[in-house]
Amino acid sequence: MGIAVLVGAAVPLWAHHSFAAEFDPGKPVKLTGTVTEMEWINPHSWIHIDVKGPDGKVVSWMVEGGSPNALLRRGFTKAALPAGTEIVIEGYQAKDGSNRANGRDITFADGRKLFLGSEKTGAPDEK
Amino acid sequence: MSKRFFEIALAFAAAIVFLAPAPAAAQTSSTAALTKEGAKTSTPPRTPDGKPDLTGVYTNASVVPLERPKDLGSKEFFTKEEADAYAAKALAKTEVVAPGTYGDVHYSMAQFGLEKGQSKVAGNIRTSLIVGPEGRVPPLLPAAAARQAARQAANRGHEFDGPENRGLAERCIIWGNEGPPMLPQGYNSNLQIVQGEGYVAIEQEMIHDVRIIPTDGRKHLPADVHQWFGDSVGHWEGNTLVVDTTNFTDKTAFRGSGENLHVVERFTRTDADTVKYEFTVSDPSTWEKSWSGEVLMSKIDGPIFEYACTEGNYGMRNNLSGARADEAKKK
Repeated sequence: MGIAVLVGAAVPLWAHHSFAAEFDPGKPVKLTGTVTEMEWINPHSWIHIDVKGPDGKVVSWMVEGGSPNALLRRGFTKAALPAGTEIVIEGYQAKDGSNRANGRDITFADGRKLFLGSEKTGAPDEK
Repeated sequence: MSKRFFEIALAFAAAIVFLAPAPAAAQTSSTAALTKEGAKTSTPPRTPDGKPDLTGVYTNASVVPLERPKDLGSKEFFTKEEADAYAAKALAKTEVVAPGTYGDVHYSMAQFGLEKGQSKVAGNIRTSLIVGPEGRVPPLLPAAAARQAARQAANRGHEFDGPENRGLAERCIIWGNEGPPMLPQGYNSNLQIVQGEGYVAIEQEMIHDVRIIPTDGRKHLPADVHQWFGDSVGHWEGNTLVVDTTNFTDKTAFRGSGENLHVVERFTRTDADTVKYEFTVSDPSTWEKSWSGEVLMSKIDGPIFEYACTEGNYGMRNNLSGARADEAKKK
């Protein structure tokens, strides 16, 4: 990836890799589930959730997010998203049909945005 | 600052660009006079061995594009008011993408603290990081354009065959911002400068590479040794660290460059929180003339965090499995 695509791009091309190659815009998903683990790994974090279907069957999904270093810099710790938290994710499913999605919008069950609700984030620009 | 000042300054800058490659000292004085930030040049503190102290954790995040938007013509600087308005607009900009399109297939940058407005951005009245009235990378020489086209043609239709066909960043080899020249990127433009006797080292958080720059007067590596970041040697000129880099591999292909890429960087502390970073890029096998730019680095609170890119790079596997799924669908 050259600098050319990092500036002035019409779509978010500044990701570490092509999300468009990984996920299918024709397969939107809305997942409501319980966090089992957040993987604080580079180059992308992955949130694992258990989603209970209408038939009561639990299916595990993993959801791709941003790199953890920026969250750490904003003051979030490994305990920021404990197992058992109920969250809602809207995104798109992996092209290969596996239970992976991008975390296009991530909210708590009450609608608050994840990682944006802290009073003190530790962000460098915080007043 | 008066209009007259800008007229003089612009004429001076124009003269330097058209005489390129200009002596490095002349470039410094011109840009120092031209930028509001550069004008604050002061005597920096010293390290124990008496060298100017550039150490610290910085961001080089910027809202200023590398190349000047064409509609700004030869206008090299905004007024302070124009610059503030431009920055506010750039930082407030949120991508509106339609559901069900590829542009919508991403994660929320704001939720992961990756919007530019969520980090410090140095104020800058430049309209482009590239200095001079043109404000753009010179066009590629015909041979360089042909070389680049051949590179692209060789990979066309094979983009997802295997890991080797993917881009350098996706493979966690080098990230475009790392340089040299070190340019701001879309997010996380954090870096740290450390100094020891006879060395300066620069670590960029993404993707966690360290440039180790000897300042002990040694020569470059033999010409047949080629490296991803080239071979950097530095020396001090007054308060400025000057770093000369050659011995690149042609795989780096910075803006279409080849292995003859030559980068000269100048680091000058202009106040307690700012390092002015100037660079001049040349490659006679790629561009007719050299071109130069300037970026401001702003101090931020540390630390730099680990970015072990390869360790958790599920994306590579997932992209390739996505491509296999696409192929199966087409059969």
